[in-house]
Amino acid sequence: MDLSVPPDITFVVLTTVTLLAAVMALQAKELIYGAISLAISFIGIAGFFVSLDAPYLAMLQIAVYVGAVVILILFTIMLVRREEADKDEAGETGESAAGLWLAGLLAVSIAGIAALAGPNLPATPPPANLPVSELGPVLAGAYPVPLIILALLLSGALLGALVLAKVDR
Amino acid sequence: MVNLPTTPADILPFIIAVVTSHTFITLVIFPGFIHLTIVVMFLTWYERKLLARIQLRIGPLYAGGPGGILQPIADGVKLIFKEVMIPYKADKPLFLGIPLALVFLGALPFAVIPFGQHWVIANLDVGLVFVFAVASLFPSMILIFAWASNSKYPFLGGLRSLFQQVAYEIPMWISALSVVMLAGSLNLVQIVNAQQKIWFIVPAFLSFIVFFIASMAELERLPFDLPSAEPELVAGWFTESSGAVFMVIFLALYMKLYLMSSLITVLFLGGWWGPAFLPQPVWFILKALVVATIIIIPRGVYARLRVDLLIKVGWTRLLIIALANVFITVVLLSTGVLSAWGL
Repeated sequence: MDLSVPPDITFVVLTTVTLLAAVMALQAKELIYGAISLAISFIGIAGFFVSLDAPYLAMLQIAVYVGAVVILILFTIMLVRREEADKDEAGETGESAAGLWLAGLLAVSIAGIAALAGPNLPATPPPANLPVSELGPVLAGAYPVPLIILALLLSGALLGALVLAKVDR
Repeated sequence: MVNLPTTPADILPFIIAVVTSHTFITLVIFPGFIHLTIVVMFLTWYERKLLARIQLRIGPLYAGGPGGILQPIADGVKLIFKEVMIPYKADKPLFLGIPLALVFLGALPFAVIPFGQHWVIANLDVGLVFVFAVASLFPSMILIFAWASNSKYPFLGGLRSLFQQVAYEIPMWISALSVVMLAGSLNLVQIVNAQQKIWFIVPAFLSFIVFFIASMAELERLPFDLPSAEPELVAGWFTESSGAVFMVIFLALYMKLYLMSSLITVLFLGGWWGPAFLPQPVWFILKALVVATIIIIPRGVYARLRVDLLIKVGWTRLLIIALANVFITVVLLSTGVLSAWGL
């Protein structure tokens, strides 16, 4: 019995679920429902990775984003008092400055990837269903500069989180 | 590959072909649905009986069968007929939905656990990461359920459960890393195949200890049962659950107990390997039940850890030992000490 679905239907379903969950995450009245919708959206993205022949990435997507990031978000929602959360803080100088810094860092990172690594990237991308044991050599061997810039970006995100936390206090 | 029936006469052969197909048998009978249900029900009875024996009591006796082994069925019937109390202003959909999700998440990893060379539902190349990925969803579910109960005790228990499980996931993953290095694969079938000559408990003994302790913490078993500390928090994050909701949560917890025992069997105790006079799945289940026994016994013996000690043990002992064992494994593998066992 062949139960396999044509890939385009998989894509349509995954896209619908992911996008609907993402919209729900922004629109939900109750913040907890927003966090759960975000988790569902992350799981949808993991589904995309599976359909792209990258199951390892899909599993890590679930473990890191759904398993850890969503927990952080839940923590924040539950520990921040309701009136504080409802207060509209948009337009505060510290926050927008941090946002500008982060946006600048993102732009610089992308420009850096394009300028530094663009000409040096291998002509052919690695095969899609790469075994996990090959993943490290390929990432660190063929794509060192994008890897380092991504690390920079993550540190930028960490600093941004610190700035935001300081504005709260 | 079975063709869909076209004429009425084909329907019966079609049903027979479906029911006898490997997919159906592994999914529904063994190691799928029926096997899981029976083992989990057995475990609930087994834990009560074992704890009773430790404390010089008799335990379940009157429910029929030897030693009251039909007690789980009686419990189930009792809990189903009890009223489901939903606390005032609780979040109803989450309060009723999360327990079902917990059972689903507890059963899902069994899709990749190999109970024998061919007794596996899905031979996934990233099986181990799949198990960890699914297991990492438990804490957030528990926290959401605790929040949905709209009550103080469950919420405190949920927070405790969350930080404990998240903290002990890290030593658990790292201790599994040495097994992955020894086997050279994340595929659970290949990990067991690599243990044909020597079980990984021997070359990765420290990892085994760390993994065992961390999985006890993940299961919220004594001495790590702070999330459901009875004297302070009644029953922790599921204090407000009653009737069928409680039964479903109970099933999920024992499902997770069986899951962790199976995972320890796969990673360290040679999975299905054993003398040939018993079939492979029997060896596997026996080993998993022995592990489950060792996980249950401390509940009748030890006291609960303090919160600060729990954190201290996790971050300053287990993590260091797990990392040390990773380096030991690197040395063992690069010097070729283990080449006699084909590693």
